[in-house]
Amino acid sequence: MAKIGVFICHCGENIGAKVDCTKLAATLGEHPGVAIAVDYKYFCSDPGQESVKKAIRDNNLTGVVVAACSPRMHEATFRKACAEAGLNPYMCEIANIREQCSWVHNDPVQATEKAADITRSMVEKVKRNNNLQPIEVPVTRRALVIGGGIAGIQAALDIANAGQEVVLVEREPTLGGHMAQLSETFPTLDCSQCIMTPRMVEAAQHPKIRLLTYAEVVGVDGYIGNFHVKVKMKARYVDTESCTGCGDCITKCPNKKILSEFDCGLGKRPAIYTPFAQSVPNKPIIDKANCTYFKNGKCKVCVKVCQLNSINFEMQDEFIDLEIGAIVVATGFQVQDNSVYGEYGYGKYKDVINGLQFERLASASGPTSGKILRPSDGKEPETVVFIQCAGSRDPSKGVRYCSKICCMYTAKHAMLYAHKVHGGKSNIFYMDIRAAGKGYDEFTRRAIEEDEASYLRGRVSKVWEENGKLMVRGVDTLLGIPVVIAADMVVLATAMVPQPDAKDFAKTIGIGYDEYGFFNEAHLKLRPVESSTAGIFLAGACQSPKDIPDSVAQASASASKILALFSKEKLEREPVVATNNEATCAGCWGCVLACPYNAIEKKDIVDRSGKVIKRVASVNPGLCQGCGTCVTFCRSNSLDLAGFTEKQIFAEVMGL
Amino acid sequence: MSIQEQYKKRVRELLSSGAVKMVIGYQAGTTADRRRPLFIRTPEEAEKLVLDSACIANLSGYLVTEGLLSDEKSVGIFLRPDGIRSINILAAEAQLNPEQVVILGFDGNDKEVTALQGEKARDFSAIIASIKEHAPEAPRNPQLEQIEKMSPKERFAFWQAEFSRCIKCYACRQACPMCYCRRCIVDSNQPQWVNTSSHTLGNLEWNVVRAFHLSGRCVGCGNCDRACPVNIPLRLINAKMAGEVLGAFDHFAGMSETQEPVLASFKKDDSETFIL
Repeated sequence: MAKIGVFICHCGENIGAKVDCTKLAATLGEHPGVAIAVDYKYFCSDPGQESVKKAIRDNNLTGVVVAACSPRMHEATFRKACAEAGLNPYMCEIANIREQCSWVHNDPVQATEKAADITRSMVEKVKRNNNLQPIEVPVTRRALVIGGGIAGIQAALDIANAGQEVVLVEREPTLGGHMAQLSETFPTLDCSQCIMTPRMVEAAQHPKIRLLTYAEVVGVDGYIGNFHVKVKMKARYVDTESCTGCGDCITKCPNKKILSEFDCGLGKRPAIYTPFAQSVPNKPIIDKANCTYFKNGKCKVCVKVCQLNSINFEMQDEFIDLEIGAIVVATGFQVQDNSVYGEYGYGKYKDVINGLQFERLASASGPTSGKILRPSDGKEPETVVFIQCAGSRDPSKGVRYCSKICCMYTAKHAMLYAHKVHGGKSNIFYMDIRAAGKGYDEFTRRAIEEDEASYLRGRVSKVWEENGKLMVRGVDTLLGIPVVIAADMVVLATAMVPQPDAKDFAKTIGIGYDEYGFFNEAHLKLRPVESSTAGIFLAGACQSPKDIPDSVAQASASASKILALFSKEKLEREPVVATNNEATCAGCWGCVLACPYNAIEKKDIVDRSGKVIKRVASVNPGLCQGCGTCVTFCRSNSLDLAGFTEKQIFAEVMGL
Repeated sequence: MSIQEQYKKRVRELLSSGAVKMVIGYQAGTTADRRRPLFIRTPEEAEKLVLDSACIANLSGYLVTEGLLSDEKSVGIFLRPDGIRSINILAAEAQLNPEQVVILGFDGNDKEVTALQGEKARDFSAIIASIKEHAPEAPRNPQLEQIEKMSPKERFAFWQAEFSRCIKCYACRQACPMCYCRRCIVDSNQPQWVNTSSHTLGNLEWNVVRAFHLSGRCVGCGNCDRACPVNIPLRLINAKMAGEVLGAFDHFAGMSETQEPVLASFKKDDSETFIL
């Protein structure tokens, strides 16, 4: 015999103002199977929860209905309270009389009637609830970090330093990402490479980190704690085992005129190369598209000079399968292609460059060894114009968001320029100076006050060449006058955009993304490092534009989430999963196709001699997310969803 | 030699060579214009075979009789193109192995029948493709057009009147090759979603559930329609659903042995926003 307790919450005025909770309690008290029906101001409060627990014990309740807010809000709270009172937590249900009743109705009489219907229907459901036990799934204690920039390296090191295994996958031939390309970093002006390269080496040499460079994740299956990951190891044409990184092949390669990606096209590299001198691993790769041998079938100079026979033109892409428990996605960003701004002349005038190119010019390891020289003639520019928001905050041609880092790096560029070119004049066109962060505003003030950067509030309308100068026409909105500046170099503070293949990659690994292609977090405020897929976490600029401190903080946060996950032998999952009645299943496999999580397999029913009698669908509870798609599809009604069985739903509907 | 005699010869060959263990065909019925199914197990029995324009029933449902194909031996069967489409659907839904089905295909109108070339379901794909292609210009059932012109209220009243005659004998289900479930949803009583008694609501529920279960699967063979003892025009409701599915998803039931069921498959690049 059911003994259901009904607890009607006023939620202060939220419910109490529209629903007559006392009358509701009296109505429900007369419903068959209801042992006790009471109302209270706030059942979610500590005394409220205590009164629920006491009622369960005193009345030997077999089920509980809390008529209150949305189950998203407090289902977990009340289920926990029920469990503490000795009741199976899945014998507790929430009747939502706030969002679905009091908040949307004006007439108290009708609202009270509707609240009674909603609550009664849940009482009918609870009568048919079953005790459910959480599902335990094993955890593979090995993390995958996708992306070897600062965020990925930080996450990998944090996890590895806690003693857990990490596989770090980077699609470029070296670790480092964008941070390795930077000159000095704001707001402290410490050299980027000096702080980055030791971390790269540490990651590569860490006994718990397996480093896979020039590799891409091409498939992710499975679920939290049990992902199956496929990684493509792209052919380097150099055997990294035997290669010592002596560099003879790089020096002797006859094809040295290829624009260096690492130097943003400002420097040159050979066809067999390492992206930069401090690459990790410091082993070259062959750029197949530009290699003379691959193009003409002749050359092989590298083969001749290599004393260790490490060059192998026959090398093929390889695929490796990994068992992974949790994933950090740290795939980073790209800079927007500025050629959409024809008026700025990017791509047309050699001396109009973007911020990342300026970083390479200012970097000691860059094509000019750290001297600020203009790309066209190698002369020191006497006047430089910096244009902020070149793409950011521009709904018409660029992106609507603020790229966050540009105000700071432009101030840094002006400072580096002032330090390297004495007497150089920098002019910065800006919309707003956004310098929120520790030491950030002080930094921009320093650029203005000590390094004499001239900030002009306004936009640039056109850049053109005249007598060897770049003429920049803009407006100073604070003075309300048009200005024309004759500059030697123009630097665009280009917008940060997602990787061009971010959306496809998100589909490959099964996470959400926004309209731009930045990956979605589970909750912007409360779960900022989790993706919407359990077990996959985010770090760095793949989620939104971020600077180094933010990326590192998020990477460490992701790592700590993963370490918490790995601290348990087994994971507990909600037992709301589909089950199949093998006796009635017709084996049509519609559910196998309909399941978005690949959680349904085909299972053979065999007799004693091992002969297959029939084949039926079988739900893997570890994979099932309880969405119910298969249940709605099943024509023979063989599939059912624990916690939301057809019996329960039917009773719920009939209770209305 | 008439097509009937040709096929008799073929049936004898198939059985005597052991290529098939049985052939499912037609024989004379109780009246001159009716045919009943014939299960031919020996070459001699082939003599009873009748093949003419009165052979209209879709026999494919007999193939999913429990245990018939579990010995992995082949069975021959006389099928019109709609029946061949049923074989494709049954194969796609893992109810039979199409390699075990030897098709004796034929087609025709209400006067005469012609033989169709081919043996396995896939051999007839060109014919099926051309039926799909010509589906839009095929003459539409005048009654269906009439129903489509009704207002929703009139249409509901029409079907309510039709279904009120239903006696829940489930002859439609038994005659339909697609109704192979070991337990039908109406036989499930925990909970009893569909009322078993023959009142208006229960009748409507049953017939609507069946229409949905056949969407994207019905080949329009008319078995249900002919089986109905109270002459409910079931074919109309199924034809309407088939048209909707064709229009909305370009899905024509029974195109191939590997066709995915329209209501269970989805594509990640679907333009609809409900797909993540």
